Amino acid sequence: MARAATTSDAFNAVAEPQRRRILTLLKGRERPVNELARALRITQPRTSKHLRVLREVGLVQVREAGQQRLYGLDARGLRPVHEWVVGFEQFWGEKLDRLNEYVRKQQEQQKESTDDGGS
Amino acid sequence: MTAEVSTQREADREIVVSRIIEGPRKVVFDAFTDVTHLGQWWVPDGSTITTRTFDFRPGGVWDATIQRPGGAEFPNYIVWKEIAPPERIVWLYYAMGKNDPNAVETRLTLAERGDTTEATLRLVFGSKEQRDQAAQYHAARGAQQSLDSLAAYVGGGR
Repeated sequence: MARAATTSDAFNAVAEPQRRRILTLLKGRERPVNELARALRITQPRTSKHLRVLREVGLVQVREAGQQRLYGLDARGLRPVHEWVVGFEQFWGEKLDRLNEYVRKQQEQQKESTDDGGS
Repeated sequence: MTAEVSTQREADREIVVSRIIEGPRKVVFDAFTDVTHLGQWWVPDGSTITTRTFDFRPGGVWDATIQRPGGAEFPNYIVWKEIAPPERIVWLYYAMGKNDPNAVETRLTLAERGDTTEATLRLVFGSKEQRDQAAQYHAARGAQQSLDSLAAYVGGGR
């Protein structure tokens, strides 16, 4: 039942409702798999399967804490998702806004130095 | 009829963003040509960008890392595809870093508008996979709320 596409990118990974719920649950703090399974009302193996998918696309990371393995969000994988959520328009629009600021300042500096030179 | 459908799809996988930049076209173009210029506007205030490689010519790479205020790091990987001063730059944007299989072609056009410059960015999603991915995302829009909280998390830099 493995679906290759699912494991290959963050967008497919978050298209699945239970995986989105896992991400929401992990937003506040790290959690072990049994806690996630209880919150989702699904079995632990199913939860582990979702976590594996989320880890493979870099949305979730895991660390050992004593006897437990704690799962948490991984900001790197979230970036492309963030760009989609915020919108490509906004992402690139903000870049162009900053470009505008930069160019305006360049102009002002140039003008000042010309004025100082008293051409 | 087939042609019409494929044209429509082409439009569907494009995103266009444009802005009036208050300065002459040459200055706008130059903002891209040098990493010391790019460093002053490419990332938001508070973030920093560390460049490993910057080679501004067709086929050249801009390989850098962006550090957000919270400490999170993101790749900034771009391959310059076409450079036509002072009006056009095309690059491939690898949102997930060097090995991102879904680089997005980004075309910047600069048009003179009196004393100002109109900058138009056209993002072109190349492959069928990318288009499907975008479609799937939109199909999953009901998840907006949880995605919004993810955005807040990422946006806040933790």
